[in-house]
Amino acid sequence: DNDLDALMADLMADLDATEKLAAEKKAAAKDPHPTLENLHLPSPDHASVPAPPLPPAHRASSVPVPTPVPTSAPAPAPSSSTNPPSAENEEQAKADKIKLALEKLKEAKVKKLVVKVEMTNGSSKTLMVDERQTVRDVLDNLFEKTHCDCNVDWCLYETNPELQTERGFEDHENLVEPLSAWTRDSENKVLFREQEDKYAVFKNPQNFYLWKKDKKALKDMKDKDKELLLEENFCGSSIIVPDLEGALYLKEDGKKSWKQRYFLLRASGIYYVPKGKTKTSRDLVSLVNFDNVNVYYAKEYKAKYKAPTDFCFILKHPQIQKESQYIKYLCCDDHRAMTLWVTGIRVAKVSKAPISSPLTPRTRISRGPTAHCVVFSTGSRCTRTTRLTQPLPPPPLMDVLPPPPPDPVMPPPPPLPNKGGLPPPPPPSSVTKNRGGALPPAPVEDFPPPPPLDDGELPPDFMPPPPPAAGVGFYLHGGEALPPPPPDPVGLPLAPPPPGPPPPPPPPPPVGAPAPRPVLPAKREGPAPPKRTTPGLSAPSGGDFMSELMVAMQKKRVQQ
Amino acid sequence: MAVWDLSVMVEELGPEAPALKVSVTSDLHVGGVILKIVQKTDIKKDWSDHALWWEQKQQWLLKPAWTLDKCGVHADARLCFTPQHKPLRLGLPNGATVSLRACFSSPVFRSIMGICRLLNIRHPEELSLLRPAEEKKKKKDTAQEELYDLTGVPLSAGLGAVVTLSDGMPAHFAESPEAEAVYKMLSVSQPAPAPETINKLYRPTSVVEKAQVNSRWLDSSRSLLQQGVQENSKLLLRFKYFSFYDLVPKVDVVRLTQLYEQARWAVLLEEIECTEEEMMLFAALQYHIGKVSLTEALVTPSPAMDDLDFALQCLEVKMDGESSGVDMLESMTAPQLHDYLKIFRPKRLTLKGYKQFWFTFKDMSISYFKSKEESFREPIQQMNLKGCEVTPDVSVANQKFCIKLLIPEPDGMNEVCLRCENEQQYSNWMAACRLASKGKTLADSSYPSEVQSIRSFLAMQRSVPGSNDAQTDESINTHSLVSPRYQKKYKAKQLTPRILESYQNVAQLSLTDAVQRFLQIWQALPDFGVSYFVVRFKGCRKDEVLGIANNRLIRIDLGVGDVVKTWRYNTMKQWNVNWDIRQVAIEFNGNVNIAFSCLTADCKIVHEYIGGYIFMSTRGKEPGETLNEELFHKLTGGHEAL
Repeated sequence: DNDLDALMADLMADLDATEKLAAEKKAAAKDPHPTLENLHLPSPDHASVPAPPLPPAHRASSVPVPTPVPTSAPAPAPSSSTNPPSAENEEQAKADKIKLALEKLKEAKVKKLVVKVEMTNGSSKTLMVDERQTVRDVLDNLFEKTHCDCNVDWCLYETNPELQTERGFEDHENLVEPLSAWTRDSENKVLFREQEDKYAVFKNPQNFYLWKKDKKALKDMKDKDKELLLEENFCGSSIIVPDLEGALYLKEDGKKSWKQRYFLLRASGIYYVPKGKTKTSRDLVSLVNFDNVNVYYAKEYKAKYKAPTDFCFILKHPQIQKESQYIKYLCCDDHRAMTLWVTGIRVAKVSKAPISSPLTPRTRISRGPTAHCVVFSTGSRCTRTTRLTQPLPPPPLMDVLPPPPPDPVMPPPPPLPNKGGLPPPPPPSSVTKNRGGALPPAPVEDFPPPPPLDDGELPPDFMPPPPPAAGVGFYLHGGEALPPPPPDPVGLPLAPPPPGPPPPPPPPPPVGAPAPRPVLPAKREGPAPPKRTTPGLSAPSGGDFMSELMVAMQKKRVQQ
Repeated sequence: MAVWDLSVMVEELGPEAPALKVSVTSDLHVGGVILKIVQKTDIKKDWSDHALWWEQKQQWLLKPAWTLDKCGVHADARLCFTPQHKPLRLGLPNGATVSLRACFSSPVFRSIMGICRLLNIRHPEELSLLRPAEEKKKKKDTAQEELYDLTGVPLSAGLGAVVTLSDGMPAHFAESPEAEAVYKMLSVSQPAPAPETINKLYRPTSVVEKAQVNSRWLDSSRSLLQQGVQENSKLLLRFKYFSFYDLVPKVDVVRLTQLYEQARWAVLLEEIECTEEEMMLFAALQYHIGKVSLTEALVTPSPAMDDLDFALQCLEVKMDGESSGVDMLESMTAPQLHDYLKIFRPKRLTLKGYKQFWFTFKDMSISYFKSKEESFREPIQQMNLKGCEVTPDVSVANQKFCIKLLIPEPDGMNEVCLRCENEQQYSNWMAACRLASKGKTLADSSYPSEVQSIRSFLAMQRSVPGSNDAQTDESINTHSLVSPRYQKKYKAKQLTPRILESYQNVAQLSLTDAVQRFLQIWQALPDFGVSYFVVRFKGCRKDEVLGIANNRLIRIDLGVGDVVKTWRYNTMKQWNVNWDIRQVAIEFNGNVNIAFSCLTADCKIVHEYIGGYIFMSTRGKEPGETLNEELFHKLTGGHEAL
């Protein structure tokens, strides 16, 4: 910090400080007071320690023209309006200093919060969070401090006893912002706990995207088909929102009654079918769009608001902390419907993430298991890039407070449950990279890894069954027939390669070998096929689609 | 071997000229016949594009080594010696018509590849050709139709890379100013159409009507001439498969523009349904795209401010240039707005009507004081606008400029109305409120442009409603941004504030981003990418609708429009077409079998749609992969392919 002092002083001298200037300086310096939100202040010392950035500013302003010119750089002329024409170096040095000073000023302005996080066992941990940190960063931090298993389901949960609501923060969200909305006397809490629904949509996308199908079909869904679903809905040029619809109860504005209406979820918001109309798009009435609201689970609303069931959720602006007419209260018939809607709304909110801008390059998301962590963190990429140019110095209050600086040095060791053979991923090369890299490890282990069984199942799949009576037919094999496009390598500048990913089934399935694949003349001169034909497709999973097709065709011919 | 006379029509000899008689033997190969014809005509010209067309059999004799015998040509055959490339009038997604030379002898799929190459559209497999709807005409509008001519530009058949100039324009457009104009038409979105134009065009009103369009697709495995397309006739080029692979704004300028145009028309003509809110957002984006298209190119490098270092450098340069320390500090402390405004708070009974105060806007909050002199004291109230909702309440005609704020507070939303005196004041404060609601301060670099965009939108209101000018610099008839349903529902005056409301969320987008956002919202619509066919399922008595999308087949009740059942392709085991009874049969996992006959379109079209989508999903092993034409034909060709 001496450095900062010197720089400040230098800057001051440089600028021929005046009263006004000093005042402004002070104003600028005042902001950096870490906002001492009264959120569970851990130590009484905290308030009494003045924020470090303040003193230098004071010093600077009290001494009108201090002249401690650092030896490192030649002093620029006091009045900078007449720049010495010759000294380019000076200019450069000055520019550097201004830059540095600006950065430090910015740094000092960063808002920080001391947050008490309640653990599952009732104990609590206190940590400092600054406004640039995402929930993911904080979670990584907590992984280090606790001895939990670091799986994907761990999340930070916000509870509001007054409204009887709770909500899991998304990984890409900033933590400081929503916490700043709490009132002074708030009894809200932040919990650190495992929550299965956090990434449920990635583990079992079919439950959300194919919710109309019967439960058994959903339960028996193959991993490959799940992956395909993820691919279709999350990896295209826009995130697809599940097409939910159904009857929900809406608490009428300012009234105690709940009215049933038919609701539809679209990317642009929640709509309902007005009385006497059909559910065609043009007739729908918008209940709310997702620009400014979040979705919260609501607890025990049967008692509180005479809701028809206890499966309620609400939509409200995060700032609203108390009962209000601006909250939309909705009630579902059962738990499943509630999960569907809440998750659907979460996806819809993520789908609105800004499209490509220079800072947030559009990423094609890598397929499968890693997809889920990346998708829900679209927003965080921006912050990360910015950080690259702005290394985080330790927070000023570090020595007063117990928690270490928030910069995690290493990601939590990725747990490798059933992957004995796999070497652990190499440690990321730099800290900045590492922050990006902090995302994937956790999800790795929890996503149903393609079981080895899969390969065993393949052979029967691959043998073309006897031809159908109908005529010439090649076979389309389940998911294999439609291989999802692989991730676009160019699209992934920031999403680091997933460390130790459960790889998609090894490219050349053993089955491919026995099949007499390549040596087939491309002629089709066999018995001329009858008039009815079938185009067909077999699995391109072996990489060479054409040869698979050839194989199938030959088999066919042989059988004739 | 016996010598006989083969009669061949040669266009070059004139329409009245009698058929040329060439004496041939049955073992003469096609190449030899052509040589004889050329010699006999005695015309010196480049005959290399010519080939023999056998009209009775509707087929081309394209294999020079085949003998006449092998081709089945006998003395009764009447052949036609004609160029393979002929001019075609092509209606583009943006409504313009371009005249170009297309290949009439190769399968349509390949002709489209050539056309797309010429127009510089990547991934031609996603597009196809449609016959235009038969017009109940009498109107001679063909005469007045503006035609862009590209027939002079050679259609290179090679597969080499298209040479592009530094600005992304392919070199073949640089040959003449006319060609350059065509490229501009292709790569820049068209100005908003006049509301009448939208009204005049055909709009499908039911799913059955939406199915009609799909009967008009050309067969991609046969040639244009085989399908009765004559020289100079008109066809429409459209994106057919809604699975847009690898869209890269930098290299896909024409593709992106035309895709946007197709999407825009689909929205305007209600070919795809959306809610009112969505329509307003589409309108706002169209307005924005129209406006920025005038000034910004789709590929210009985005302002280089993406790099913080660079931004800082700029700041330094600026500071050094002015180099007064005070300036510098000012640029670091947020600028402010001060003014006398009127405030009205609907919920507080103490304040009746609008009352005037001295207002200060700083950072992201508004404070107000009794008067300017009191402004150094504690404000009467301070409101932090971050996360608030800002809605305009403006009427230029009545000189009413209000800003409605819904400011979130712990116990609800605080409703506040600010009334400004004039446009200028309104634009400044409105822009500040909007930025603050998104967590940006007045110091943000987007502030001036935000002010500007608000003013230009106000200008829109000033323009005389009812005038049907196309989009000019500032003014636009908002009726040209929405479908006729909303033209009828709202007056232009009512529409403008609605669009303005949506506009505030998109006003800052660059052209590329705005176009992509439009496509994104379009693709997020529930009915996106579904092509309809009226079918009769086996064992059913009534007509139903089959929807074909990129990942599934949908069975839809024709009367109600409800989805009855969905089958995903990944559960599909096989599909067969019985060409004799023209029935499509599909088998899915778990012994699910369906079969249907197609009523509104030929079953080849349905077959091609399904196969085409399967093909689309096989793309993308490598980015630079060449198009697997053979596979496409295998999947879509039907019996011709085997």
